[in-house]
Amino acid sequence: MNQNKRILLAVLILVLVGGAILGLEVLRRQRVTPADLKPGSIPIYVDGEMEAAFTPEDLASLKEVSFQDAEEGKSQTGWMLQDVLRVHLSEDTLTPETSITVISTSREKSADLTWNEVEDAENMVMFDVSGRGTLKLVSKMEKLDTRDEWVQDTDRIEVASP
Amino acid sequence: MKERTFSTFELILLALFAALVVVAKIALRTPIQMPGHTGLFWMAVVVVGAGVVPKLGAASLIGLTSGILAGFLGMGDFGALNTFLSYTAVGVGTDLALLLLRDPENLIAAPLAAPLGHTAKFLVKWVLSAATGAPAGFVALGLARALIGYVVFGALGGLLGALTLRGLRAAGFFAYLSEKR
Repeated sequence: MNQNKRILLAVLILVLVGGAILGLEVLRRQRVTPADLKPGSIPIYVDGEMEAAFTPEDLASLKEVSFQDAEEGKSQTGWMLQDVLRVHLSEDTLTPETSITVISTSREKSADLTWNEVEDAENMVMFDVSGRGTLKLVSKMEKLDTRDEWVQDTDRIEVASP
Repeated sequence: MKERTFSTFELILLALFAALVVVAKIALRTPIQMPGHTGLFWMAVVVVGAGVVPKLGAASLIGLTSGILAGFLGMGDFGALNTFLSYTAVGVGTDLALLLLRDPENLIAAPLAAPLGHTAKFLVKWVLSAATGAPAGFVALGLARALIGYVVFGALGGLLGALTLRGLRAAGFFAYLSEKR
């Protein structure tokens, strides 16, 4: 086989692998999303009842923020959790002691916060988009400032009244 | 007959390249926020490693060793196993691509082999996320954007690697190495 054919074959393999991944992801996207939600959206539960869902369309109205994480010095860019919650929940629901739990079912991880902590701009409690397009909860707070503590692949937010 | 096994000297060289991959990942920063942008550095290192030790399995050994190092250093957002497998996949993917494309100094072959290796990492990460039941991407085209990033920065890394190999050859590094061997 000459070099031109080898190059052509390599390009073909690259296109096939990429196409297969994207095609299978489209199928997976439809399968893993509950019927009452848009693919990729994150449901927000208030006292056990689903109140709303955070969708990609919401991002248009939110301000993008960023900070450099202390662990690896990488820039984390995304949207503040307080802004996300304010889009969907009334101010009456969010008192300083309101408990907010951000959950990743697949990774069996969660972060328990109060509205007081979420609302404090210094804490930078925010969602960053991971390399594969899912959301991860990151922060500068001491209890949530390392990769072990972050909540990658977030798929649920629970809000509970005090 | 061409030697198929690695000499101790070659293994040391490959271990150094593996360490360089991890150092590049930790120390080198670009203002580019696209997924896969670090491939610019580490695919260059893997291609140079495969060119300096031109034997089948050289890139795989770099990937495997850097995977072990990165796993123990706690690198990556998705745990040690994910880090280890994805780094190893880079090496194995590059080796398979070079088996087809052959010459890592070729300015067309290297920028094609490197994105194949880099895409192998992307594939492993995607398979692991699907296997662990990760949610669908929040941003609909997030995965496509990430894939494009992996291919583009992998190709640029491969080109950088091929140019480095040419520079090393011009500087007489390969003649020096053959004396050492």
